[in-house]
This record gives sequence, C-alpha cells and structure tokens, in this order.
Amino acid sequence: MFHLVRYSIIWKVKNFNIFFWPFIFPIILGTLFYIAFGNVKEADFETIPAAVVEETKDSRVFLEFLEELQKNGTIQVERMEAREAEQALKEQKIEGILYAADTPYLKVNKNGLSQSVLQSILESYFDGKKTIENVMKNSPEKLGTALERMADHQNMVRQVSLGGSTTDGNASYFYALVATACLYGCFIGQGSARWLQANLSPLAARQCASSMNRTAMILTELLSSFLLHFLNVAVLLAYLRWVLGLDFQGRLPEMLLVILTGCVMGVSLGILVLSIGKWQEKIKIGIMLGITMTAGFLAGLMFAQMKYIVDQYAPVINRFNPAALIADAFYCINVYDDPSRYARDLLTLSVMSAAMLAVSVLVVRRVRYDSI
Amino acid sequence: MIKTVDHAGAEGLVHIENLVKRYGSFVALDHLNLDVKEGEIFGLLGPNGSGKTTAINCMLALLKYDKGMIRIFGQEMAPDNYQVKKDMGIVLQNVAVFDELTVYENIDYFCGLYVKNKIRRKELVDEAIRFVGLEEHRKMRPRKLSGGLLRRLNIACGIAHRPKLIFMDEPTVAVDPQSRNRILEGIMELNRQGSTIIYTSHYMEEVEQICTRIAIMDHGRCIASGTKEQLTGMIKTGEKITIEGVALDEEQLRKIRGLPHVFQADYENGILRLQCTEAKHNLVRVLHCLEEQEIHFGRVFSEQPTLNDVFLHITGTQLRD
Repeated sequence: MFHLVRYSIIWKVKNFNIFFWPFIFPIILGTLFYIAFGNVKEADFETIPAAVVEETKDSRVFLEFLEELQKNGTIQVERMEAREAEQALKEQKIEGILYAADTPYLKVNKNGLSQSVLQSILESYFDGKKTIENVMKNSPEKLGTALERMADHQNMVRQVSLGGSTTDGNASYFYALVATACLYGCFIGQGSARWLQANLSPLAARQCASSMNRTAMILTELLSSFLLHFLNVAVLLAYLRWVLGLDFQGRLPEMLLVILTGCVMGVSLGILVLSIGKWQEKIKIGIMLGITMTAGFLAGLMFAQMKYIVDQYAPVINRFNPAALIADAFYCINVYDDPSRYARDLLTLSVMSAAMLAVSVLVVRRVRYDSI
Repeated sequence: MIKTVDHAGAEGLVHIENLVKRYGSFVALDHLNLDVKEGEIFGLLGPNGSGKTTAINCMLALLKYDKGMIRIFGQEMAPDNYQVKKDMGIVLQNVAVFDELTVYENIDYFCGLYVKNKIRRKELVDEAIRFVGLEEHRKMRPRKLSGGLLRRLNIACGIAHRPKLIFMDEPTVAVDPQSRNRILEGIMELNRQGSTIIYTSHYMEEVEQICTRIAIMDHGRCIASGTKEQLTGMIKTGEKITIEGVALDEEQLRKIRGLPHVFQADYENGILRLQCTEAKHNLVRVLHCLEEQEIHFGRVFSEQPTLNDVFLHITGTQLRD
C-alpha cells in the first residue's frame, strides 16, 4: 500500500491542477489579503463617533465602560435622547447608537468596520459581565479582584478589541482563508475519486479492473490526498504565521489539529461529490467550487462580518458549514480560548468527514456502471 | 442468422451465456454466447459499434448488464472477485497511463496493483520493459513518446504482472505498421508463454494473422465463430480471380462461365472477375481455357476468401462499413 500511496503523491504533486488550486492559490490569496489590508489596519483604530441613549437608570456600569473606551480613543460617545440619536444616525453623523438598557443593544444603519467595532465593544461588555456573574456564582470571595479588573476597562478593551484577544481586526479573513484552503482539498479528493470511478477515465477503468481491493483503493487515495493537502495547508499556515507575521500566534499543535481535521474534511468532500450522482465531471467540479466558495463566503472569506451575520440570523448554517467550523476553531485557539467549543468544532468536522467517506465507500465498493 | 462451427465441449476459461446489455432502447449485446478455451488467442472481430468493447467491459465486471452470465476461471465474475482478477490483465482501447509518471514508474505502479513483493515486482517490470522494447525510454514521460511507443507502454502496464488471461481491446488503433507488427508479434509471444488472450479488433488482417479462433460480431450478436479456415469454409465463395487487359466476346464469356467451380463471372472494361467455389486448381483451369481460345490477357490476381467475405456473406454488408 505504501508503494501506491507514494506513486499517488508523486503524480498528484506533478499535476498542475491538483497542485495549484489547493496549494499555490491560497498562498497567493493570502499575500493579496495581506497587501490589501496593510492600510486598512491603520484606519481600523480611528475614533468612532457613536451615541448612547439611556433607557434605564440602572446603567451606570455600562456607561462607565463606554467612558473608559472614550479615554482610550477607540470611540467618541455622546449622550443623546432617542430621537436626537436616530436623527444623527440618519444623517450619518454617528456610526451607531448604543442603548444603555437592562440588556444593552446596538443600532446601526449599515454594515462596515466601524459598526463591527461597536458590535465587538458590546460583546466585550457582555463577556465581562458574564465573567463577573460567573465569579459571583462560583467564587464570591474573588469578586473584589474581579470587579477591580472589570473597572479597569481600558486594559480589558485592549486585550479583547475587535476580534477578541487579537488586535488585528482582519484576522478573520485569514482564518476563513485557511478554512477555505482546507476545503480546497476537495479538488485533490476529486482527483482521487476520478481515479476510482471506472466510468470517468480509462485509468480508473484499468485500476477498477485490477485485483486491488476497492476499499483499500479508497483508503490509499484518501491517505495520499490527505497527506499532500495537510502539507499544503501547513505550509500556508507557516507562511501566514512566520512570513507575514499574522495573528496565528496560538498554540501550534492545536492549530495543526484543526488543519488536519479540515484537510480530511476537504478531501472527503471531493471524494463524496465525485462518487455520487451521474452528472458529468465538469458539473461535479462546478458543484465543488460552489460548495467551497459558498462555505468560505459564509465563514467570512469575502466579507468578514458575514460570519457574525450568519451566527446572528441563521446560526444553524455555520454549525454545519465546514469552513465556518474550521475558522471558528482558529478563533477558539487564537481569540476565545474556548476548549469546549474547539472540541465541538473538530468533532462536528470529524463526524461529517466520516459520514461522507462511509457513503463514498458504499457507493464505490461494488459498483458496476451503466456505461463507460 | 447465427452460425457456429465449433462444438462446445467443457466450459472454457471464459464462458459467456445469453449476455444482454441495453443502453435505453439500444441493444448493445443481444444474447451473446462465447466460450474461450485456455491457451487461445481468441479474436472478437466486428465493425465499430458491434459490441466488442461492451462485451469486454462486461467481462471485466465494469459494466452492468441486463441479463446473462459470465464465468471466468470457472467462477462467476463480479466487481469484488479479486481472486479471478489477480490473474487477469487488461490493455484498453484508450491509452491508460499517468502523464505525470515515467515509463518505468507507470509500469511499476500498475504491476504493484497485483504484485506486492518489491524484488519480484522489479524483475517483472524490467521484463515487461524489455518485452515491449522500451529499454531506452524507461525514464521518459508518456507525452514524449510516439503513438506506437505509447501503445507499447499501454500494453506493458497491462501485462507486467504475468496474467493468465489478457484482454486486449483494439491495442493497435492509430499505430504505425512497424509498431503494429511488433505489438502483434508480442501478443503471439505472450500466448506462447502461456497466456490466453481475448483480442478485439476491426482490422480483419490482424485477427486473421494472430487469432487461433475468431468470433465475428455484429449488432451485439456473435454471428459466426470458429478458426479462420472454418469460417471461410462456411461460405460458397472460394478463390477470387481477377484478370486484367482481356477482350472477350459473348461466346468466350459463356465458355468461361461454364467452367467447373466457377459460379460467377463478371466482365467489364476489359477486366474479368471470377468467383469460384472452394476447389483446387481453379486458376490453372481458367488460364488453360483462355489459352485454348487464344485470348490474350494482362495481369492476373488470385485471392483467397477473407473474413470480410464471411461477414459480407452473412450480413450483406462490408466489415468496414
């Protein structure tokens, strides 16, 4: 089997289509993102004008939190009446309205970087509040220390600005990029499946007519495709982390585990799509492109806020969107430090991959074709 | 009309019974029956679309079929019958090699699908390379090879593991005469070494040259089978004689038509064409008749009946139509 895996890797490496899209293309895209976001990064931290409207008198903590941020220069908050704030928002004098209610909320009239910053500020407040509540519930004796830290909003905000603990608001694009690169493994998987389906090429017919066990054949192709693609994405990750110096500063073994799981997912997806249905190969490649691009888009590859929007309005989509799961796992390592969510993401990916492979094996195992 | 001149005894190495394959309303194989004996080079001859490749793909368990049975080495053929498959080799009509691998790597890869032992595999690969005459090209990529060399590589990939039964589906398509001869000689050598070969072609000369037994297919059916001699013996036509540069009047033509074993005589533009039933000395008799009547003549041709004549006789169309 090693003999077959070795040759399988050799021919894949020498095949331009199989090599370019999963390996070269994400590196080019990452470089372009890096160049494009170079200037945006500086603009990220311009002071954002916003209004705060008091809806309850018991909003002291939230107002103090905003004042601290104002000192930091991140936002410029002006207290207004509701109608006045609405008018200012309509005239685009402010980027959003923060309502100091029992549960504070945000109102904006468009999507953009400033609005994302305001959303992040609000989320940071909720995170802090939740932390205090947890401390009160579990360790009341440490409440004093916790409150002191809560009072030091400036420090807290610095640590969890924009994307959580990262200071780079554009990191989400790169997480989505790595996620999409993992899914590009489907093109390697597609190459494998093409080689497993006698009706797709004379090469496949020759292999299928051989005495090589079909399940072993599938495993061989899966293993070679996976090893190759894992290497592809590991190089991409190394390039983003050490060459471009991006925010992939979390624990490396955990990040490698994410791309490992993501690569299995990508390759499995390719094998599945090529194994099922009677469509022409070109149509199947189109389907894979559609799946990877849609998954990447919903995970925030083209528009960083898309992940938040989907999480807010249709969270179930990103619970099963492989690109979003991979990106989310990167957030868990680099931003949230949330092991349980990280584990859930990887488990979901693993189960989905196993299901796809099981279907592929069942379809391909004993198949005879209607026509060749 | 189905004609067969061999009498099936014990079940052959490959046994096909009432095989039916339909593509929608089109019947590609129509109750096909075949028996291939061990040690034969069995030719499947027929025009394009007659069902040869479909029959091969069914035998390889690649294609679904609607009805019938295929037994190879006494076992029912199935996609997961690896015991049977390990003794089979295939050379497909389309060249099936990796462009990314060298000649040696390609043969090594395909041999590796059957032979796990590395040392044994190396011996077999070297042997296959020698057999097809690609020693000087072992490090070349397929796209650098000529059409003929590529076909030889295609064959090497199918036979390197020394199969007992080899399926060759039109292996000489688009090949120059030199390579074709080399390939045909190679096939006969494989047969001498003990392999049974099922060979499909629409080139009757090839089939006549190498096959020990032949099945002629048309519209998915086996319309005749037997040795070349048995097949040509099935038809009335024996020797065909053509005489050029001859001037005949009606009486002379009538005398020629009256010769024994001449069953058809056409005369047009100074060319006399005769068809004789199978008998010896037809040409001598005809020439003697011309001399007796002091008829001068130019070039003389004599042809023995071919498989094309058999096909024409049975179907009313040319094999290459």
